[in-house]
Amino acid sequence: MGPAKTAPRVVLACGEVRTSLLPALQALDSRAAAQLLGLRADERVLLSERPNLYGRSPDTLTGVDCPLPSANGARVRVVGTVAARAALTEGRLLQASAYFMVPATGPDHRRPWGHYLVRPGVVEPLGKLPHEAVAEGVLNGGRHGDLDVGLIADGLHTRLLRHPLLDHRPPLRSRPTRLRWVALPAEPGAGPSIERFTLAEDELRTVRLRVPEGTPGEGLAGLCDDLALHDWLLTTVVRILDGIRLGAGAGAAGAPPARQRPRQRPGAGEELPAVVRALRPAVDHLLHLWMPRARVTQELAPLWDALEERPGFTRQWQTLVQRIRDQLTLHAIPSPHRETDMGP
Amino acid sequence: MLVFAASDKGGTGRSVTSANLAYQRALTGDHVAYVDFDFGSPTAAAVFDVPGAMRGIAERGLHSYLEGEVPEPARIDIWRQTEHPLLHARPNQSGRLALLPGDAGGGEFVTGEETLDRCVDLLLRLNGEFDLTIVDLSAGRSYAVDMVLAATAHPRMRYVPFRWLVFHRWTRQHVIAAAGLVHKEHGIIRGGVDRGHDEEALRGAIRFVRAAVPDPDSPLWAQGSPAQAAWMQACDDALRRLAAEHRIGDSVVLGAVPLEPVLQWREQLITEEDVLSTQIANKETLEALEEIARRLTDDSCWGRP
Amino acid sequence: MTDAVFRETTAEPRTQAVPLSHLSLELGHLYMEDFEAGPEHLRRHFAQVRPWADAARAAAADRTGGKRPRISTCFLIDDYFTRFSSPAELVPLLLAEADRAGLAVDYLARESGCAVAGKVPVAEAVAGRLVEEPPPGSYGLRPPAAQTGWLANGERSPVARAPQAMREAAVWQPPKETASRRHSVFLDVELWSDAPDGQRTWSCPFLAAVWQLARLGLLRTEGEAVLEPQPHTADGFPEDWDELPPLLRLNPRADPFAAYRTCSVVPNRFLPVEHAVRVILDQTEVDPEALGQAARRSAGEKVAVPDSVADRVSYVFYAGP
Repeated sequence: MGPAKTAPRVVLACGEVRTSLLPALQALDSRAAAQLLGLRADERVLLSERPNLYGRSPDTLTGVDCPLPSANGARVRVVGTVAARAALTEGRLLQASAYFMVPATGPDHRRPWGHYLVRPGVVEPLGKLPHEAVAEGVLNGGRHGDLDVGLIADGLHTRLLRHPLLDHRPPLRSRPTRLRWVALPAEPGAGPSIERFTLAEDELRTVRLRVPEGTPGEGLAGLCDDLALHDWLLTTVVRILDGIRLGAGAGAAGAPPARQRPRQRPGAGEELPAVVRALRPAVDHLLHLWMPRARVTQELAPLWDALEERPGFTRQWQTLVQRIRDQLTLHAIPSPHRETDMGP
Repeated sequence: MLVFAASDKGGTGRSVTSANLAYQRALTGDHVAYVDFDFGSPTAAAVFDVPGAMRGIAERGLHSYLEGEVPEPARIDIWRQTEHPLLHARPNQSGRLALLPGDAGGGEFVTGEETLDRCVDLLLRLNGEFDLTIVDLSAGRSYAVDMVLAATAHPRMRYVPFRWLVFHRWTRQHVIAAAGLVHKEHGIIRGGVDRGHDEEALRGAIRFVRAAVPDPDSPLWAQGSPAQAAWMQACDDALRRLAAEHRIGDSVVLGAVPLEPVLQWREQLITEEDVLSTQIANKETLEALEEIARRLTDDSCWGRP
Repeated sequence: MTDAVFRETTAEPRTQAVPLSHLSLELGHLYMEDFEAGPEHLRRHFAQVRPWADAARAAAADRTGGKRPRISTCFLIDDYFTRFSSPAELVPLLLAEADRAGLAVDYLARESGCAVAGKVPVAEAVAGRLVEEPPPGSYGLRPPAAQTGWLANGERSPVARAPQAMREAAVWQPPKETASRRHSVFLDVELWSDAPDGQRTWSCPFLAAVWQLARLGLLRTEGEAVLEPQPHTADGFPEDWDELPPLLRLNPRADPFAAYRTCSVVPNRFLPVEHAVRVILDQTEVDPEALGQAARRSAGEKVAVPDSVADRVSYVFYAGP
């Protein structure tokens, strides 16, 4: 694009993704997805059916003028816009993603706002950008008042959750996750790489990338959406399996008491076994969503290889899926046989 | 499921009892959130023994969230952050137990449309994550009560099941006050209907919890004279009649918590350890709490077959 | 997106390009009161416009470095706020008076076309593209002072709202223009008003901002151009404004309607409105691809076009009644 070309080179891209289960009893079809994601009256929602059902909203911009977080305490003021967009995968997983790019240098005073609006998704530093320190600062989380890209993702997420299409009857309990990412320039001639993928607090993941100069921010956001989506799937299915008491008969919804005491009244045994009730939603709503690299650009797709090597995302997923299937198969067997086989 | 804990007066043991219910449910494997909407005096953190948030937290509490200053209220993972030695070792197979504290020094405030929207956002989000969300409300017909009445009547919350627990002590004054909070002109039911609730449905979602009830049969009073015992029995009967006259009789009572020094004096969670090893708490108290916790989701206790 | 062999049209954005002149020159803006003031009023107007129009043409020629600049002229009639007269009566009169001053109107537009053009809700779409200018200290939290239906060039005075119990109410603070130099010229623009029945009326400055975007060729809906000029094929003009296309090409040999820059020659009573237009344009994120098309085309022609959309707009305010 014209105006962006004259700008100094981008040395840092950052973003944050919120990933959550869409709180609706039924997954949304393409038409409903387009309604949900139609953030602007005049821009169409991108809809795709291959290799899976996917919709993405147009970008929206949020203006910022504040310091960037930094690991060494430097207070670099930036002015510009943060881009945010939402995506829905298979009508089931909702992602709100915000990101921005920062050039190495900028003017020493703030320009009229129109200057920034023609550079969507770019924030310009007032002066020089210490990009390594800022990247570290972003991943660690800034102080109050520092640019918080997560807030912008969160604002969009909240806005979407208020949409009247959603009935707020999620088929299973789950937690949203946050994935925060930075991309720094790779060594000249080097390809893109993942330097670090960290499971931080309960819901926070951080990713640190090195990418060749000129890698579009949109592509990076797409890659990180993809990573976040699959990490959410692993996290959620692991928790479902964590919460069930294997080998148990009828009990509360997959919930083993820490202390044994009668909880269920007689007669409840006619319902589905607890394990089946806990695992069924995963089968109905989650197991078909695994599809790494589905929306990743060609130049960034190889980054998945590192994660497949170690810790082995897909390997873990296949193990989880197998466990769920085994459990359900087991519970398809009449229960007297099952109980004897399992033992205490 | 959302459970709102209300009371007409302070000193009913509402906070400490509802915190104990949250704890009991988490022990059974449920993921439980405890939301401190006691705006006048956020104290839940003391019950859970979370020192950093004893009188509410410095920032990012529920006030800041509802006023739009922060996008998400702070959450405290009780198992991880409590200083209670027993709780700290999260019991195996227990569910998550999260506290959403109020802000330190935050008072009551006027709620507007945006506050309501944020309240709905929060309750929906918690409902999507937790099996049970217990919301502790300021005493009386407070802004907190109005806000959650409006929130639960909001179209976005139409499929979210909720129940109310009204806590009161077992005395004449408290019985009358609790009945007033629910049934009188400016009570919960009237206020709820004004905000769009169906009267029958709302009435059916309210149960009472009698707190600090002296049990005449309890060994605690066994040493008393026969005259004393007879007098206690007569008082108890009179209170039951009074409660029934005020439409808060036994049929709408979810449970009663015995008079328990540990709850009265120290406002803490009662653990099995307190009953079995140190024996500072009564077995009956723990059993009562366990039973009320169980009945929270037992439809047969809520007039549903 | 990931490979070139397989394509899904719904998954790829595409944006229609529009032809562009160097300058879109607006010869006037007609409201009911102007019409009621009689034909002499129009005559005086065009006579005043003429020298400035010539000056604007000369300046445009200067920027193209001697090559003949493509310049189109246009005229806007208000049929949105008040309905008066009819195209059959008004348009011939208007054209005759322009002609008397030696001016030719290439394109005629109706103001209601800036609200809704055909089936396209243009104004609503533009309203959805407003990105508020952040005052210093904006770190991503939604600005609490946002007022729906209003747009300011800075921070409003904080309103006294009911504080939490026992807290003091704040003292008055002045509003502050974000781009101020020492002192503020604070402007708060009403973008629309809603009637009790929900009917929305767009404000004059907001529609004027849409009008500027149309003239700059920057309006798109789902990638398609909006307010495309329709040729004038009939002999006369209809009796009803609704039968007149929102944008009509009167001169079949005219240069393209949209242009890299615009210039409007209007009496100085328009000054507050046009200040408001600038405030709006400065906070409107236009379609990036439309912007890119104009940038690439102008670069190819070696014509300088300012980055900022608001800076592409210029005015001549003549002294007038």
